[in-house]
Amino acid sequence: MDFRFTEDQLTLAEGVRDYLEGTHGPEVLRRLDEQGARDPAIWQGLVEMGLPGLMVPEEQGGLGLGLVEAAMIAVECGRACLAEPLVDVAFVMAPWLAAKGETGSLAAIVAGEERPLPVHAINPWVADGEGEALRSVDPLRQLAVVPAKVSDDPHLLDLGALMSAAQLVGLADAMLVQATEYAKVRTQFGQPIGAFQAIKHQLASCAVAIEFAKPVLWRAAKALNDGVESAPVHVSHTKLAATDAAFLTAETAIQVHGAMGYTYEVDLHFWMKRTWALGGAWGDRAFHVARIDRAVIGDADREPTLAIGPDHTFA
Amino acid sequence: MDLAYTPAQQAFRAEVRAWLKEHLPSQPLVTLECREGYDQHVEWERTLAGGNWGMVTWPEAYGGRGLDLIEWLIFEEEYWASGAPLRANQNGIFLLGPTIMEFGTDEQKALFLTPMARGEVIWAQAWSEPGAGSDMAAISSKAVRDGDHYVLTGQKTWSSRAAFADWGFGIFRTDLESERHKGLTFILFDLDSPGITRRPIRQLHGETGFAELFFDEVRVPVANRLAGEGEGWNVAMATAGFERGLMLRSPGRFQATAKRLVELYRQNAHRASPAAREAVAQAWGAAQAYAYNTYAVAAKIMAGGKIGAEASLNKIFWSELDRAMHRTGMQLLGAHAELKRFADGSQNDWLEGYMFSLSGPIYAGSNEVQRNITAERLLGLPRVGAG
Repeated sequence: MDFRFTEDQLTLAEGVRDYLEGTHGPEVLRRLDEQGARDPAIWQGLVEMGLPGLMVPEEQGGLGLGLVEAAMIAVECGRACLAEPLVDVAFVMAPWLAAKGETGSLAAIVAGEERPLPVHAINPWVADGEGEALRSVDPLRQLAVVPAKVSDDPHLLDLGALMSAAQLVGLADAMLVQATEYAKVRTQFGQPIGAFQAIKHQLASCAVAIEFAKPVLWRAAKALNDGVESAPVHVSHTKLAATDAAFLTAETAIQVHGAMGYTYEVDLHFWMKRTWALGGAWGDRAFHVARIDRAVIGDADREPTLAIGPDHTFA
Repeated sequence: MDLAYTPAQQAFRAEVRAWLKEHLPSQPLVTLECREGYDQHVEWERTLAGGNWGMVTWPEAYGGRGLDLIEWLIFEEEYWASGAPLRANQNGIFLLGPTIMEFGTDEQKALFLTPMARGEVIWAQAWSEPGAGSDMAAISSKAVRDGDHYVLTGQKTWSSRAAFADWGFGIFRTDLESERHKGLTFILFDLDSPGITRRPIRQLHGETGFAELFFDEVRVPVANRLAGEGEGWNVAMATAGFERGLMLRSPGRFQATAKRLVELYRQNAHRASPAAREAVAQAWGAAQAYAYNTYAVAAKIMAGGKIGAEASLNKIFWSELDRAMHRTGMQLLGAHAELKRFADGSQNDWLEGYMFSLSGPIYAGSNEVQRNITAERLLGLPRVGAG
């Protein structure tokens, strides 16, 4: 029992964070917003980092890492509000194809030449596809209704929900930083607004929500990675906790920014809009509450399926 | 990241479970906050000590078992799962004990820790004063040096367990010229010392758990000072860190409440609102989140890390979770929520628990203070006010 990351895991995540911080700042989001949302050079950079192959088995040329590492990287993608479909391709599709034994396209995924996208019945569209186009509030999401074959595989759904939760945690982290930094420099009544407890306490509440959403994410990633029977419950748990933390932080962040937060000019809106999109993707609130509900509460004629209580922390 | 228990940890869990099953009181104890219940709880402390379960993480030399924090968590999980009584000596074992371990001399460790682990000396805390609540640095109770004694004068209040406990600990102003955090000293005192008057305070639920303490020239040997003169604030902050951080509220307590809440919901499902149902599911999730976080913090501390201002996040989280769970319990009980005892004679634990949960966001540093600490020390926002 050791609820910690290894040095290797931390180094990997830090490397990706630094890379995205250096190459994928708000100015890039603005350029993509104006010039068409996707940029092959950004994708190429991710390929050179080896990220599309992170979860591809070593036999197919990948790094063979697991869902905990992938979730850590997905957090960084959320933090950077990454527009390229790395998470969907590399952390949802690649492990799903590998788990099914469909290894044909994996080498091409590693090379960045193929970008298969998940098409699941729970989502009314694909997030980055070609087909009848739909417009998302998130200017960097390219929604499309795809007429192709739709999967209803629960494992694919769990991978998608887990990785949405991971991105939501990163988005929340980033929005808390943006709001906090703004509160340090914006002055009113002769002092930084961040010195007022009315501001402090709201930001502290976001910090609490994020702090306690994180271990739920790692627990779910580990459970799904290891094929634990109760993993779907833990995936639903992280999706709810991450969505709640991110929505709270988004609403708090815009409030702290005041009228500036309501403008297109302040960067915050990119992160807020991604939050709104991912909050409903891969199973909405009702879907995930119901999964927890069935496992934990059950019904008059149906016993709960998950052992709960102090002696079942890791059931 | 390894989220499986080793065979040795599993065997330890089985040992704890078996011992508790054999030794648990056959009847629920009377509340800790009256004389009769206090005595019952102290007797339970001594039963625990008889099995060497007083404080499992302490060295064997001080009545512990020399176990690590994961084993402590396993012990706590089994403890709360079994429905065992509240710990009469939590001020001692969870707060003062770790502080003595860090700041005490060898003599102090030998003198105080073993009787604490064995339940022979029950401790009360004495932080707050009438003029020093959230603003604890405003303490004015004095400790004036006189040879090899300090002479204590002043008043402490909201002193948990002080109505019945044996010894107390708190901080006193030794440098009378000093202000705020400076010039304070951490002192341990026998509550039966001449010059101490205890005035029990009747609490919300009608019982008397805490008390006011009046000090009228109370002579305490200098040997009862923990750490150096004038270092009291830092020592107290370390104690508060243990309290808010890891030890005072182990996750098992809240997981047990969440489980009881699920059972309560199932009994009342026919008349519960959909919102109550979601609140029950959320309660399970939040209690689990707190448990995962505690395992992560324990692993960090075991690897040589420290718990700092993050302790404030914990305190906010568990205290507001506890209140939310009991509020949901009250809602599920409907009209029955107001009953002190149900028709079958059993105590309404949801009502008692709800009242107690209202103290959680206040004691151990109010949640407003915790949010200030979070904002200032973790987020780096400018400080509030003076000090």
